[in-house]
Amino acid sequence: MTKKIFCIFIFSALIVSACNTGNKNNGAKTTADTVKVTVLTFEKQADTLVNKPVFIEGTVLHICKHGGERLFLAGGNDSITVEVTAGPKITRFEESMIGSRIRITGVLKEERIDAKYLNEWEAEVKKPQENHNVGVHTGTKGHEDQGVKEKLEQIAALRDELRKSGKDHLSNFSIEAGKFVEIK
Amino acid sequence: MQVKTLRRWNNALHRDIGYLCVGMTLIYAISGIVLNHFKSGDFIHPDYSKSYKEFKVTPPANGKADQAYVMSIVEKEGEKNNYKSFITGENYVQIFLKNGSVYVDLASGDGQVEKKSTRYIIKEFNLLHYNNIKRFYTWFSDLYAIGLIILAITGLFVLRGRNGIIGRGAWLTVVGIILPALFLLFYM
Repeated sequence: MTKKIFCIFIFSALIVSACNTGNKNNGAKTTADTVKVTVLTFEKQADTLVNKPVFIEGTVLHICKHGGERLFLAGGNDSITVEVTAGPKITRFEESMIGSRIRITGVLKEERIDAKYLNEWEAEVKKPQENHNVGVHTGTKGHEDQGVKEKLEQIAALRDELRKSGKDHLSNFSIEAGKFVEIK
Repeated sequence: MQVKTLRRWNNALHRDIGYLCVGMTLIYAISGIVLNHFKSGDFIHPDYSKSYKEFKVTPPANGKADQAYVMSIVEKEGEKNNYKSFITGENYVQIFLKNGSVYVDLASGDGQVEKKSTRYIIKEFNLLHYNNIKRFYTWFSDLYAIGLIILAITGLFVLRGRNGIIGRGAWLTVVGIILPALFLLFYM
C-alpha cells in the first residue's frame, strides 16, 4: 500500500514538473508585424497600436504583490514606467525578476478612464473594504499600501487631468504579455 | 427510493468526496490564513518574508548616483555578488539585488537594505489559491468548489437523531450562517 501511494506521489510530481516548464522557455520570438515600443516613447506610440502585437524591453521595477499578475517596466530611471499584465499563458511574474532586464512580447491594451469610471472607483474606495483591483495602478513605491485619502487624491487628480484634456476620457495604456525573456 | 438508501448514498458521497477534497482544502486553508493576514497588513508580502537593515552613506557630491557610487554601496554592504542593476529616481537610487534591494536617499544618505526570503510551499499554495495557473486549473478548482458544496449539503444529513439536522445540528448550522451574516450587516 505504502509503495502504491509513493508511486502515485512520484507520478504526480513528474506531471506537475512537466507542466511547469511552460513559462521558463518564454523565448520572446517576434514576428514581422510585431512593433517595437520603448519605455520612453510608449505613451506617444500607444495611441496607434491599441490591440496590436508589440514588444518592449526594460528593467522590472515593481511586481504587484497580489498574485504577481502585473509588473512595471522602467528605462534608466523611474520617471516613466510601462504597465504590463500577465496574459492567459503566463502563470505569474516572479519577484526574482525585479531588477532584471527583460523583453516582453504581447498586445497593447487601452483602458479608458472617463467620468463614469472615476465615479465607480470613488464609490468603491469609500467602501470599508478596499478592492485592490479597482483603479489605476501606478507602480510607484508604496502604491499598493495607499489609504483611502491617497486614493481619493489620485481620483481628484485624474478628474482634474480629464477636465484639462478637453476629451471625454483619459487613456491608461498597458501591455498584456504573451511571453517574456530575460536579457542577459 | 427509501430514506435508508438515500442516507447510505449521502454518507458514501460525503465520505469519498471528503477524502478527495482533503489536499485542496489544506492548500486553500493554509494559504487562506496567509492571504487573510496579508490583506489585513500583518504580512508585507504573501510569498516572501522581508527583513530590513538601515545604514548611512555619504551622499554623492553632485547629488547623482552613477555606477561607481552604486558599486561602492553594494561593496560596503557586502552584496557585490548579489548585484543585478540599479535605477535612479528623484533624490534616490534603488539598487536591485538577487534577493532584495537597497534604497538610498541621495539627499540625506539614509539607506535601507531589504532582503527577501521565499516562503516555500506557502508560495506554491498561494499560486494555486490565486489561480495563477489559469487554463485547466480553473476547471479543476471549480470542481473542487462543487465538491465542497456537495460536502456541505451531504454533511447536514450524515447523522440521525438528536445530534443530526433536526437537533443540535440545526442550531450549529444556523449559528454558522448567522455569524458571516452579522459581519456583512455591521461592515457593509
